Amino acid sequence: MNPITPIINGLSITLKHLFMKPVTLQYPDERPKVAARFRGLHALNVSHNKAKCVACYLCPTVCPAKCITVEAGEDDNHDKFAAKYEIDMLRCIFCGYCVEACPVDAIRMTGEFELANYHRKDFIYNKERLLEKK
Amino acid sequence: MVNLTIDDKQVTAPKTATIYEAAKLNGVNIPILCHDKKLKPFGACRMCLVEVEQMKGRQIPACTTPVTEGMIIRTSTPDIIKARKMVLELLLLNHPLDCPVCDKAGDCDLQNLTYEYKVDSNRFADEKFHHQIDYNNPLIERDMNRCVLCGKCARICDEIVGFGALTFINRGIETKIGCEFEEGLNCEFCGSCISVCPVGSLLARPFKFKARFWSLTKQKSVCGYCGTGCNLTLGVKDNKVLTTLYDENQGFHNGQLCVRGRFGYQFINSDQRLTSPLIRTNGRLMECTWEEALTAVASRLTGGNSVAALATPRLTNEELFLFKKMMLDNVGSSNFDHSAGYAHAALTEGFSRSLGASASPATILDVQKTDLLLVVKTDSYETHPVIGFEINMGVKNKGIKLNIISDKRGKLSKLPGANTLVHSPGSEVAVLNAIAKSILDQKLTDGSASSIPGYAELEKALAAFTPEAVAASSGISADSIKKIAKDYASAEKALILFPVGQSYPGHNQEMASAVANLVILTGKIGKEGCGVLCMSEKSNSQGAVDMGFYAQNGGMNSLQILDACKNGTVKTLFIVGENPVVSYPNGANVKAALDAVDFLVVTELFMTDTAAMADVVLPACSFAEKEGTFTSTDRRVQYVKPAIRKDVKCKTDFEILSALITKLGGQAPSSPASVFAEIAANTSGYAGMSYINLQNNGAFAPVNVTPKLVASKAAPAVSAESGKLAMVTGSTLYHSGTLSQFGEGPMHVCPEAYVEMSRNDAARYKITEKDLVTVSSSTGSIKLKAKVTPRMPEGVVYIPYHFSETPVNAIWNGSAVTVVSIAK
Repeated sequence: MNPITPIINGLSITLKHLFMKPVTLQYPDERPKVAARFRGLHALNVSHNKAKCVACYLCPTVCPAKCITVEAGEDDNHDKFAAKYEIDMLRCIFCGYCVEACPVDAIRMTGEFELANYHRKDFIYNKERLLEKK
Repeated sequence: MVNLTIDDKQVTAPKTATIYEAAKLNGVNIPILCHDKKLKPFGACRMCLVEVEQMKGRQIPACTTPVTEGMIIRTSTPDIIKARKMVLELLLLNHPLDCPVCDKAGDCDLQNLTYEYKVDSNRFADEKFHHQIDYNNPLIERDMNRCVLCGKCARICDEIVGFGALTFINRGIETKIGCEFEEGLNCEFCGSCISVCPVGSLLARPFKFKARFWSLTKQKSVCGYCGTGCNLTLGVKDNKVLTTLYDENQGFHNGQLCVRGRFGYQFINSDQRLTSPLIRTNGRLMECTWEEALTAVASRLTGGNSVAALATPRLTNEELFLFKKMMLDNVGSSNFDHSAGYAHAALTEGFSRSLGASASPATILDVQKTDLLLVVKTDSYETHPVIGFEINMGVKNKGIKLNIISDKRGKLSKLPGANTLVHSPGSEVAVLNAIAKSILDQKLTDGSASSIPGYAELEKALAAFTPEAVAASSGISADSIKKIAKDYASAEKALILFPVGQSYPGHNQEMASAVANLVILTGKIGKEGCGVLCMSEKSNSQGAVDMGFYAQNGGMNSLQILDACKNGTVKTLFIVGENPVVSYPNGANVKAALDAVDFLVVTELFMTDTAAMADVVLPACSFAEKEGTFTSTDRRVQYVKPAIRKDVKCKTDFEILSALITKLGGQAPSSPASVFAEIAANTSGYAGMSYINLQNNGAFAPVNVTPKLVASKAAPAVSAESGKLAMVTGSTLYHSGTLSQFGEGPMHVCPEAYVEMSRNDAARYKITEKDLVTVSSSTGSIKLKAKVTPRMPEGVVYIPYHFSETPVNAIWNGSAVTVVSIAK
């Protein structure tokens, strides 16, 4: 084969891409569009002004990374609620089993993926931080 | 045995078995909701339907149908599975699907069966129940909306506990389980109903929402309260004991527990536990290091007999053995004792002279095997509730005749056919002697009795105890004494039970001998279902006696030690776990003694009144944090292993004693196991025991009896002064010693001392329930709430002894009966 042909072929591919829409994203100036099923930071769903979570302990039970800590409490109506709900994001593997296990649709995973922080303790998300923002 | 076929398998089963039991015995599991092996078959849930070929394919309940020869049973044909699914659908029609918030989830029979039978939809529709949920009860939460009406709670409360707090109310679709007049539970709070509930209708309130069942580690242990030696399963999570769990296959009692065992565990992880050694500097107890504390203690453990020790019989055998060894070999003192001295006198003095062994010849298992029970004091139920359950079951199911000699009526007197003789307080030994005399008079003695040493002397000594003479002083008619003597002597098998303890000073060596005389005269010893069982007070009271941790060979007993502290002969007092300020008689005297002694060391779990007076306080560990053995009242030696890790700043008594021995220049043992090997080699009856072979059910240490008849002296009758009452102390159902004050469960039900009196006395002094009354004796006075009950005879009041707030020892100097006056 002519030794020049492969070079021309290669360059033609390069040339073609020169006129295509780029796939890289100028992050952070440009924001990615996160898919609906993306598994990012957890959020605790709210209903009637309180977390839907009933502290059934199924999420810490199913969690393969053992990153969820729940402590149940009893409210004034003798109902069960999560007095403490903590996720250690350094341990979390974002598998989504907690969402799958939840019997009351109290937890979901958001598109939030910017979880970097400066201190280890900042990666422990307590109930306050996990409650969905409206 | 009968032969039958279950699911094409040829099996055999006992003639009395039901199909359910036969299947279980042969490894075939039949689903059921309403069955417990302790309860009678009931047939409420219809889950255990099976097909029997001989019954033409009809579906019959396995739990109520007895097996017959040649039965061909099928337990899981498609038709049966369909029927069971239908049963579950009908149950789930009304059962709320709140498993995520129900504490029973994970341990719930209904949930497990629903999963097993894949009932994921319901063909029917109906409204759920809207019963009111009882949230107010501190120990038992009742949610009747979840109830499947299996009736187990009502049946266990009736058949075993004998209380009958729960029952079915209404009929048809409106049926529910409830209490009398639909009020809240007001019962013994033993929690047996919780243990058998197949769903989440009855739940332990102290454990509510604490953890899910599957996250608990199940740690087997032995209860640390009374001497019954019940086995426990502790539910542990994150190194905390969160609850007790039910295991129907555990122990002689099949998992049955009393209120203390089931709800009294909170002291283990209490916030009030001591966490650091304390040393008194400038008059105040200050935290210090273990090294400082142990050096200070070791430096004062010199001087031979000027050192004395008191230990609680809640220590393990190993610790008591080591403590005794330290006192004898390293300190050089023989002044050590436990339980105020008199609480073990029935064993160490009474039984050892009458039976030649300082232990009871009968076991708890004999209760069910006997024909006649003679119980001294109705308090036997309160001091040892699980033995009380055995009595209940024996009397109700096996028709055992129950005779009670007591200074008050009680729960045992309510059993069917119970014959209660209420005598004047303090005259129990005289009554027992009169029974012995009557046996002699009626010539009901065993053939060999006259050849037993001491017969002639006893005959002479009993001359003063004719039924007529005793009838006059005790208030029991001569005829009933004669009748009880006849019944006892003529029963083929008969067993005598009596409790001992710090609150029963009258139950001493004299009573033990009087009881032993009855047993020996009628030859009711050494046979199954016969003999006598002295019910010792604390978890290892029998062990403390077996280890010889009591005054012997010239050593001083507890009360002498306290006197010696006062007069300066004893300079160092080492108290391990005892709380004499509250539990020993004559509190003022105990306080004066502890004040007077030069150096007081206390190892404790809590800052008790005694620990507060100490010069050095060492934080120790509870039974759930240490390894060792307990010997129950019937000499069953049981192995206890740590259920949780101990606090790093605490040491077990074994470690404390080992460290002190090293400091005193001795050779400390390497582990509890090595000490137990020494115990097994040196203690009669313990030979051949080791931790490995004690792991499952423990082992009985046999008791060798050499009977001798010893005349026992009856205490003189207390002369009743006009306007005064006779006060007796005792142990209440909800408490054991002073430790149960740190268990939240017992304190919810019985938070303070009370004075119990008859209705007539209450009327005379114009006292009503819960009035604050002042009870005074020659030694002092205390203010207590009044409790008016029909069980007390006129002229007698009863005060329990467990409480530090209002200790009965302010007015009680250790006599069996105290004369008191009462004012509102």
